Amino acid sequence: MKFQTQKIAYYFFAVSMLLLSLQIVYGFIMATAHAGYDVLHQIIPFNAARATHVNLLVVWLLSGFMGAAYYIIPEEVNKELIYPKLAYVQLIALVIVGVIAIAGFHVNWWEGRKFLEIPRTLDYFVVIDVLLFIFLIGGTILKGQRYTTTSLVLFFGLFFAALLYLPGMIDTDNQTLDSFWRWWVVHLWVEGVWELILGAILAFLLIKLTGVDREVLEKWLYVIIGLTFLAGILGTGHHYYFIGTPKYWLIVGAIFSAMEPLAFLGMTIYAFIMVSKGQRNHPNKIALLWTLGCSLNAFLGAGLLGFAHTLPLVNIHTHGTLITAMHGHLAFWGAYASIVLAIISYTLPIMTGKKIYNYSYSKYAFWLSNIGMIGMVIFFGIAGVLQVYMERRMGLDFFIVREELSFFFKLLICCALIFASGIYTYVYSFIKAGLPVSSLSSTDE
Amino acid sequence: MLSKSSAVKFFLIGTSLSVLCFFLLSYDTLKQIPAQTNEQNLNSSAIRGKHIWENNNCMGCHTIFGEGAYYAPELTKVYERRSEAFLKIFLKDPQKFYPGKRKMVNYNFSDSEIGDIISFFKWIKDVDLNGFPLKPSIITSNTQSVSTSLSNIKNVDKPKIFEQLCMTCHTLNGQGGSIGPNLDNIGDIRDKNYLKQWLNDPYSLKKDSLMPKLPLTVENINELVDFLIQNKSGDK
Repeated sequence: MKFQTQKIAYYFFAVSMLLLSLQIVYGFIMATAHAGYDVLHQIIPFNAARATHVNLLVVWLLSGFMGAAYYIIPEEVNKELIYPKLAYVQLIALVIVGVIAIAGFHVNWWEGRKFLEIPRTLDYFVVIDVLLFIFLIGGTILKGQRYTTTSLVLFFGLFFAALLYLPGMIDTDNQTLDSFWRWWVVHLWVEGVWELILGAILAFLLIKLTGVDREVLEKWLYVIIGLTFLAGILGTGHHYYFIGTPKYWLIVGAIFSAMEPLAFLGMTIYAFIMVSKGQRNHPNKIALLWTLGCSLNAFLGAGLLGFAHTLPLVNIHTHGTLITAMHGHLAFWGAYASIVLAIISYTLPIMTGKKIYNYSYSKYAFWLSNIGMIGMVIFFGIAGVLQVYMERRMGLDFFIVREELSFFFKLLICCALIFASGIYTYVYSFIKAGLPVSSLSSTDE
Repeated sequence: MLSKSSAVKFFLIGTSLSVLCFFLLSYDTLKQIPAQTNEQNLNSSAIRGKHIWENNNCMGCHTIFGEGAYYAPELTKVYERRSEAFLKIFLKDPQKFYPGKRKMVNYNFSDSEIGDIISFFKWIKDVDLNGFPLKPSIITSNTQSVSTSLSNIKNVDKPKIFEQLCMTCHTLNGQGGSIGPNLDNIGDIRDKNYLKQWLNDPYSLKKDSLMPKLPLTVENINELVDFLIQNKSGDK
């Protein structure tokens, strides 16, 4: 750790770990309900569990991205963070807003719009909190000693993520318009600017772990984010097929979203080539494992499984079925959850001085969670295909179909147990590493 | 080999062109949405319905326009599929229906709120969704054979109320739900008086009846009984 203020990242990561642990609990509540045992219905009905599951994901990823930024930016621009005390204020405010939102979901206080369930009153606090964060990061870059591509890409990713939260706050009485604006936030986040954040963190990790020349890495970073935007921005059209928007989106959405896997394929090839070219033998093999796992699963989940149902001819059958859940799980796991877990794996030993990458269970955490997730995705896929055939193609009664599907959710729960054991092992290693220490060193290890 | 400056150029030009196209298409879309969604029919009741839909996070279980969660039925065409009569009764106390199956939360909607939700569904069903949802294309074979063997012994036509309410749970001639018993041979096992009393109040005949008491009029009951009683097995 080169700068004192970098250790602020630790506290953001700790919040991420806590929320991730809780997110999985809510996942189990939903899966058991799908499997036919909706035992918590009176206390936590499915819609509350779902809103909580999804929003915990968003908040722990954002907290992870913010932590990553607080770690990466000072190191990249060679300058301590400005107003470090405000960074703690920003974290505490984020946690308070998050806790109120989650509690609200359990007492029917929300804005029932998929992924943007946080009530409008709290939206304003989210905006203020993120503005403070952008100010701290942006100010540090401006005062910094050098501009690097990695730090700029990270900054603009976070900046536009904040900006794109605003269309979600446009009031409308028309359900179609409502959906139209909602996807400006959700799609342009996850298939747009969040990929800048992903790309920047990935580039930072590859620079540190492989020792490949920064110029080469950053050049290809431009190509990848260029491809991302070229495909992703007009690819928003794949959400505008069947919601009451004009027909031309069927063509525009199909062509551009079909190109989206290219960006992810590029990212995977980039990561693997850089690692094979790298001369540096960095001892933190666990961080490397998560980095490569991230790029591969991002391609499989976001790229390949996304492509599988993005064309209108397929999507008219699969739209609004568990096929979407299949794609969503591996995409978020690969592209975003894994990159946060990778940056934590890399930074934690540096911040705490504990070489957790030498513990054997760090490796189990990676393999168990990945194998578990792949298994869950397979059963989401099987349930999704059966749902499409029985419910959509044959028009069978809802309850007949759901009883057939419940068996696959039982299998899914088995995989989820493997996944959860991996994640909780990871959280255990995080706790084991202890609190950050204050000693500074000039090397990266 | 590609230089860094040309990589930057590729990024900047590609991104600006994409953003420009996206803004132009979005501008056009915003202009076309009112016509495609029949915004002139979006009355104040339907708007209130939309906000009820949102404030209770209905999308947290259901889908509408195929968007939402996959735990409860898709509702874009629910107004056509289930009818206003059914929705009115169902929303009053959702937990009365579908015994032993997954439950909807009872939100204790008032009659006017139920009216608003129904207006919302009525507007939703007419939005032009570019062909979504498709009609089921695979027809199960037993559906057809059963309906042909029984269809020629009917004198009384199927009352509308039967399709609106009863078929949600019961199957007749291979069509309908699977919650309650099949009604194909109901005429063999029940007589007119029994059916009348049952439809008037199932609990008067069976205390722990799984079928709820439905708000049926005397005319409803009479036409249902006349229709049901003729469903006897084909051999007789």
